[in-house]
Amino acid sequence: MKVQIEALTRVEGEGSLEVFLRDGKPESLRLSIYEPPRFIEGILKGKPYQVIPDITARICGICPVAYQMSGVQAIEDAFCVKIPEDIEEIRRLMYFGEWVQSHALHVFFLHLPDFFNVPSIIELSKIDKGLVLAGMEIKRAGSLIIQTLGGRTSHPVSVVPGGFSALPESLSELKETLEKALEKALWTVEKLKALNFPDFELKEVLFVSLIEEDYPILKGDIYLEGVRVSPKEFKSVFVEFEVPYSTAKHAMTKDGRVYLVGPIARFNNAFEKLSPLAIETAHKLSLEPMVKNPHKGILVRIVEIVHALERSIRIVKDYKKPQKSKVEVVPKSSTGYGVSEAPRGILWHSYSFDSEGRILSADIVPPTSQNQRAIELSLWELIKDRENLKEDWLRDHAEPVIRSFDPCISCATHFLKVSLKDAKKFTLA
Amino acid sequence: MRVGVFKFSSCDGCQLAFFELEEELLRLSEKVQIQYFLEASSKNTWDYFDLVFVEGSVSTPEEEERIKKIRESSRFLVAIGACAVSGGIQSARNFEDFSEIYFSVYSGRYEVNPLSKPLSDFVKVDLEIRGCPINKEALREVLIALLQGKSPQLPSYPVCLECKRKGNPCVVVAKGLICLGPITVAGCGALCPTFERGCYGCYGPVEKPNLQALLEGYSRLRVSQDLLKELLRISFNGYNKSIREWL
Repeated sequence: MKVQIEALTRVEGEGSLEVFLRDGKPESLRLSIYEPPRFIEGILKGKPYQVIPDITARICGICPVAYQMSGVQAIEDAFCVKIPEDIEEIRRLMYFGEWVQSHALHVFFLHLPDFFNVPSIIELSKIDKGLVLAGMEIKRAGSLIIQTLGGRTSHPVSVVPGGFSALPESLSELKETLEKALEKALWTVEKLKALNFPDFELKEVLFVSLIEEDYPILKGDIYLEGVRVSPKEFKSVFVEFEVPYSTAKHAMTKDGRVYLVGPIARFNNAFEKLSPLAIETAHKLSLEPMVKNPHKGILVRIVEIVHALERSIRIVKDYKKPQKSKVEVVPKSSTGYGVSEAPRGILWHSYSFDSEGRILSADIVPPTSQNQRAIELSLWELIKDRENLKEDWLRDHAEPVIRSFDPCISCATHFLKVSLKDAKKFTLA
Repeated sequence: MRVGVFKFSSCDGCQLAFFELEEELLRLSEKVQIQYFLEASSKNTWDYFDLVFVEGSVSTPEEEERIKKIRESSRFLVAIGACAVSGGIQSARNFEDFSEIYFSVYSGRYEVNPLSKPLSDFVKVDLEIRGCPINKEALREVLIALLQGKSPQLPSYPVCLECKRKGNPCVVVAKGLICLGPITVAGCGALCPTFERGCYGCYGPVEKPNLQALLEGYSRLRVSQDLLKELLRISFNGYNKSIREWL
């Protein structure tokens, strides 16, 4: 017998949850992703390296900047291009914009309604309009950063290998919007403090995030339990595998351990590197490492929103338009790796190129596929001792658990390996 | 007015335009009943719709069935974005060997059609909103016009007009870049030329794009027919009915 939620709601993309019962007791479950694959990496083969940021952005409408940043850094790694610090700082700013808008979308539009027992933000606005409007203002501030630097929030157009196609003369008009959004974020913290959380802990899960000088976002080695792994070594530590019930592959460590990426992992691994106001916010919310309750992801996201806004204000204040918006990129036959912290966790890209820079193979591992095992493990903890499971109960209890991980199902279906046998001639004039 | 928002093969980006309406979305919800919108609400009903917005292309047998079912239960159907209008970036595979792409990825368990197609290959589409992704201004225009019983006013002219109005120097003339602006429908605000690069066609072709004239113009810049075709195939709208034969 089977109980199921046919279509998960308030998540990005399409999936379902099935629980299999024997004598009325749960025997197994599967988080099934039926989003059709779009073969993005297959489409990339034979194309010139320049199309990577535009095409991979389309894997996800919510975190396109993450795809662009991991993508261009993989290209630059392959072609040995060094990016000046001032351009990297603008990349961080754009990326912070995406964290703010993506986290605000999840916190206020998708996740928060669960804590008020309402089906949507529209219903939530009838209970606490101020909170909803604050969330919208925060989201708008994040979007404005991306629009200013890249023309539009989803699939911005300025990110190119080597830097940006063009950069604004000044960013001073952003400052006031960001400061107001930061004020609003701090105000919502007082409200979020009052939320009640189900008593629930992730057991035996590794927390995996990047490590860099600052709180991780743009680049760095991968950190797990005191071990540092370079982007190049990613596939020697983690394995992906197909499962019959999902168009998204699963991932585990090579020694068979379940791991979690994303805000909670970053917070647990790099708490002390958060901005001063973000640390203060964490204290206010009684949050400290190790956070193990996935429902508290909403609190960690608001801490990261505060961090991202505070850091962005600093970058905007210090902004001087770089002399050159991009550095020269000369292709060569090589393989490169790029990894960054998408809002939902580490996003790893690898490409091989021929001597003219055409793509021979592409390999992308997005965060949601890496988190599927941890989500399933959490769901199992929730239901394993339940008898007489009903669909209504699953919707009320299991769906919020899935939602708390902020899965991005559209992303998860698009990672795959492609190898190219005969590259088609293709050059950009 | 009963409204539904549906998703097919896509990145979710066009549905986000509803969220970007922000306060207007809240006001709108007082005037219309949003009955089906999986990403926005955990309460969804599917019976009859006055108006539906559909994101994504049709790329599986299940999606073929579902789009027909949606059409049967809707009075007015709007295709939103390059996937729904033209087949999306995933339709670039329509011009290549599908089995090679497929088997390099999965081992054969999933039912996926070789071709990714626009909605209009299967059902009657009443209106298109262009873009990859669509922008909230166009969505707002359509929603307000339809609520008032008027026809929405969306641009049908090419990006070049918008670009001139903005006062951008032409990137073809000034920088020698390839730009698909002359045959791409406006609405984005000439974003790419504003950021000093050529338009890559994400709003899709104008009604009757003169590809031959574009090719002749570009042949002076030593752009071959093959290159122009490749660029159009990855323009997110390559499988649009008005250009697919040419490619």
